[in-house]
Amino acid sequence: MALTQVDQGLLGTNAQYTGFKNRIINGAMVIDQRNAGASITIADSSFAVDRFIYVASQASKFTAGQNLNSITAPAGFTNYLGFQTLSSVSIGAGDYFVVSQKIEGFNSADLNWGTANAQTVTLSFRVYSSLTGTFGGSLRNSAANYSYPFSYSIPVANTWTTISITIAGPTSGTWIAATNGVGVSVNFSLGVGSTYNGTAGAWASANNLSATGATSVVGTGSATFYITGVQLEKGSTATSFDYRPYGTELQLCQRYFQTWGGTTGNEYAPWSGLGYNSTTAEGCFTFICPMRSAPSLTQVGNWVFNDVASDNAAGTLGIGTTGLQTTQMRSSGATGITQYRPYTLRASSTASRIQLSAEL
Amino acid sequence: MITYKLFSSTSVFKLVDNSVVMCIPFDPANTDYQFYLKWLEEGNEPLPADEGTQ
Repeated sequence: MALTQVDQGLLGTNAQYTGFKNRIINGAMVIDQRNAGASITIADSSFAVDRFIYVASQASKFTAGQNLNSITAPAGFTNYLGFQTLSSVSIGAGDYFVVSQKIEGFNSADLNWGTANAQTVTLSFRVYSSLTGTFGGSLRNSAANYSYPFSYSIPVANTWTTISITIAGPTSGTWIAATNGVGVSVNFSLGVGSTYNGTAGAWASANNLSATGATSVVGTGSATFYITGVQLEKGSTATSFDYRPYGTELQLCQRYFQTWGGTTGNEYAPWSGLGYNSTTAEGCFTFICPMRSAPSLTQVGNWVFNDVASDNAAGTLGIGTTGLQTTQMRSSGATGITQYRPYTLRASSTASRIQLSAEL
Repeated sequence: MITYKLFSSTSVFKLVDNSVVMCIPFDPANTDYQFYLKWLEEGNEPLPADEGTQ
């Protein structure tokens, strides 16, 4: 049967049934490459699950983690991101405690923000807290000088509430085009001082992270805040959450972060090289998939250069010339290396990790 | 305290309290490199690379 007519209703901006509907990556909090579900005392500019960065003006104020405290996830979800106040703070004007996702310009440029054709978006999520009241967050541009504070209500404590906020796209402000920079930051406040608060429901030429009058989670000892099902989509209606296959979601996260080690005591890394001198081996390290930018390398624990016959402590690993798919990785302070001998790179224990970050 | 130490002509180690925490490539799109550039703008200088490193 020939296709002769397409329901025009399906082509509207509110009905995107295929493609990258949700601009948020890991909105269901399924991927946690760094901590594998373990809770952490979260530090400034770090991640409790993939793609959701926590930024804070004071250290050691929250425990955070995937499925923290093992509450029941909302219907249709198995994971959430949780925070619990470790030490309460009386918020000062310049304080901020925020969890954010920075959406890459390549994934937001079609919103045409900053132009007359700016597209309306809808932000939806499920949220649960030991506190009730009005909470806040914002959307913000890359330069942190144009933002839209929003507020939402949690009327009942310790109950999942579904939130939907529709935001007319800004026709002003500077928004980056289709590049690998920050397109839009989506921010959820856990406590923000007056310097970074603004009037909810309006775009402003300001660096707002939250809405004036919003509840401060960090202001209450042992307070909890859980969130999942975060979705930012074109249109004025929150549609059903865009579940993606686990492998797809993982690869979307790996554009920003990749990790090796931790599965067995002797996991190999995708590196092969040669001895350069007695303390250095050098070779090519291949990434799982192309990354957003040349990544930073973090080495956790010890690694060894293996020549089949023996393991040789790798010392400190560093990177040289680095692209989006490979890096020249070599050691500093290795022991027992023979010049021109081929080596592989292997974890020394289950605690050993090689982590590459190209986060925004 | 955060300091930096050159590793190669294209990368630098970030140190916290004199311990290496990461190696950063000189890529303007890399967030850690952007923080390093701000640190330089504040008048700081990285430690030189170890002798013999490339």
